[in-house]
Amino acid sequence: MSYTELTVWTRGIVMDKEGRDIVNSVSASARKEGKYAQAMENYVDNPDRTNAPTRKYCRLSDTVLENELTYENEHPNIVVLVEGTMVKGWDYMRGMPPGGTLVINTHYTPDYMIRFVPGAERLSQLVCVDAARLAHHKWLYYRLGELGLDRLSTEGAAERSKLVAPDIAAPLIAAVVKTTGIVKMETIKPMIANKNAFEMALTELHVMPLSKVAV
Amino acid sequence: MSTKGTHIPEWLKVPFAGITPAPTQEKGQDLFPTGNWRAIRPVYRDKLPPCNNACGTNEKIQGYLDLVKRGKYLDAYALIKEDMPFPSVTGRVCYHPCEQACNRGKYDEAISIRAVERFLGDLGQALKKDVVTPGKPNGKKVAVVGSGPAGHSAAYQLARMGYKVTILEKSPKPGGLNRGGIPDWVLPQDILDREIERLVELGIEIKCNVEVGKDVSWDDLKKNYDACVLAVGLTEPNSVRAEGENKQGVLYGLPFLRDIGMGTSKVKLGPRVAVIGGGNTAIDCAREALRQGAVEVTMITVEANTKEMPCSPEDLHDMLEEGVDLWHGRAMTAVLGNGKVESLQLHPARFSGAINASPINIDRDAKPEEFAVDNVIIAVGQHASLAWLPAEFKNERGTIKIDRFGRLGDTNFFAAGDIVQLGAGQPLMVVNAVGDGKRVAFNLDKVIRGEALQPRTIAIDVIMDLNRMNMTYFPHFPRVQQGMLNPVTRKKTQDEVIQAFTEEQAVEEAGRCFSCGTCNACDNCYLVCPEPCIARPARSNGLYKILIDYCKGCRVCIEECPTGCLEGVPELDFDTGVIRMDTAFAITQGLHGRQSEELRNLAERPAKNI
Repeated sequence: MSYTELTVWTRGIVMDKEGRDIVNSVSASARKEGKYAQAMENYVDNPDRTNAPTRKYCRLSDTVLENELTYENEHPNIVVLVEGTMVKGWDYMRGMPPGGTLVINTHYTPDYMIRFVPGAERLSQLVCVDAARLAHHKWLYYRLGELGLDRLSTEGAAERSKLVAPDIAAPLIAAVVKTTGIVKMETIKPMIANKNAFEMALTELHVMPLSKVAV
Repeated sequence: MSTKGTHIPEWLKVPFAGITPAPTQEKGQDLFPTGNWRAIRPVYRDKLPPCNNACGTNEKIQGYLDLVKRGKYLDAYALIKEDMPFPSVTGRVCYHPCEQACNRGKYDEAISIRAVERFLGDLGQALKKDVVTPGKPNGKKVAVVGSGPAGHSAAYQLARMGYKVTILEKSPKPGGLNRGGIPDWVLPQDILDREIERLVELGIEIKCNVEVGKDVSWDDLKKNYDACVLAVGLTEPNSVRAEGENKQGVLYGLPFLRDIGMGTSKVKLGPRVAVIGGGNTAIDCAREALRQGAVEVTMITVEANTKEMPCSPEDLHDMLEEGVDLWHGRAMTAVLGNGKVESLQLHPARFSGAINASPINIDRDAKPEEFAVDNVIIAVGQHASLAWLPAEFKNERGTIKIDRFGRLGDTNFFAAGDIVQLGAGQPLMVVNAVGDGKRVAFNLDKVIRGEALQPRTIAIDVIMDLNRMNMTYFPHFPRVQQGMLNPVTRKKTQDEVIQAFTEEQAVEEAGRCFSCGTCNACDNCYLVCPEPCIARPARSNGLYKILIDYCKGCRVCIEECPTGCLEGVPELDFDTGVIRMDTAFAITQGLHGRQSEELRNLAERPAKNI
């Protein structure tokens, strides 16, 4: 029996879709594989405010989810930071059991980023992927004026693009799936819009192996 | 119903659920440290304005313009005096490379920096006591050879550092090129005399009529002083190698001006004068000739047009306004006449290379022109006279061999000014010599104190470009023009041609400064910040403080900074600014966390008995 929690930390409005795409595509793939899965967004965090930190949750289980009414992921095994600076701001490691994985979108290497991670001894690996460079040049210069234009605070209801992971979500999904095996690569890959970035990330991510814990 | 006078019990006072202090209130920002929303941190990082970079002595031009704008004239004068010993002189004579580099010049018209400098210089002249004081005496003696711009500057800086400075000047009056190369109608002698008095007030001893190589030898300098700055300049005029140059009535540019400046001139010019050369000295000679009684003055240059002439375009314009004829593309090949100049033989000519001072191609097969004159003034540059210098310190250009710090080998001798700048790529101008003297003085100080010498390097991206500033805040505004004397009357007098700024004009002109890349306390960031993130304890340059724990990195201040001194730096480049919050807004795990804990254990508890 296995039970996995995935928490994505992202930025309100400007990177809201990216975070949502990650949890939705992972849970959809898990269901296709016959698992019980659930994905949801956090409304406590006030996700309709630009740049506000927002969480997205995903749960996967071989058996029926007992805690499907629980609003937050209490013990995330995998944490994804869609924007690198978030590494300094929150206790995203809270509740993580030993042997977890942290995936950060940054151009820095894990050697540099580890200094900002609280409770890094719980990690089995720290993964850094330069998603901005792999996906689209506009993400390299993080400017609200450009990123926020087609983003509305409607939780995706009024979004123009119906594509899944057209931007920086694609390399991050690749990093999560490759380093943790949470779902099968062949199930998730057909869903991703930005296949190019997805494949490039598979070879260009930086993994820092940390303490190994017997699961 | 009024709540006035209602007693609020202690336990109901803020903060409690739902009512929390606003971020503007005390402790309000502690409750919501939203600084971790930020990916880009705004940082005040002053850059180098292009005027400061272009100035030969790197005057802090933006700084003093800003002070003039605020009416702090004395502070501005003190700031200018850090780099420039005689702002009243350069305010009149400088070829203002700062104004050529001025970013405002690419927008509407460059700031009239020189005029403001002159305003400050004249203000300083009127002071009873100068703002500059000599440094604490360190017991070291330094000789400065030459009292021109470079020597003056070096002596000034050394005296400020506490050295006992002696200036050795070979002329009867100190001032060097400032006195001997610049006519009275540009720089009145009393202005220069006052600046030299200031040197004496600093405790500098000036010995006139002392010539190195004649009255003092190299070994004397070595023996009697701890160190020495050689700022002897280029004293010998170049010849054009024409036939008959030794005839009576042939004059050389610099000695011509020098004798008039020193008051020892016995020259009596005829009505028709020709000036050979196209530089600033040639222009000064032509204009001086008019004032010395010449009626028709013709300037003959090798350059094919005015753009190629190595001179200040403004001076050229003023010269033409005074009625000097300008002939291009000719070289003088012979001076004709019976013992005295009667006419010149001119041949078509051009520079063989692309740059000035490259060899001249003279078309000797062409039919020569004959041009009748009474006098000819040759102003085609100068060279050094260094017979007294040991041969090991001479270079192939006929000047002094120095390292990049201005030092002669391992000795305590330094050289500055035209004597080292000739052929080194810099124009031979007063301000460049001043800068050279200043740098050499600091290098000399380091050598005496046994410190290592460091070259001055500026990263190119630090020099502020117009495109990095926000032009929305700067309306187009014309330059304040300096008054000029009428060209018809002025050419017969020694009165100063260019008039000074009034106080109002100086303040108006200083107010046009963009303050490129440097905070000038305009308060714009303070006003545009949508949150109370920018604190302003005192309204002064660069004293704004960004409350990093609260700033959300919205970039509004960066985009709106008029001068471009605010920069967005990626937050991850800083180790500081780490705040761990539990949820997006709260520093402690809130209600929802507790709720979820109960929900999680729901199944293990017995159902409620309703």
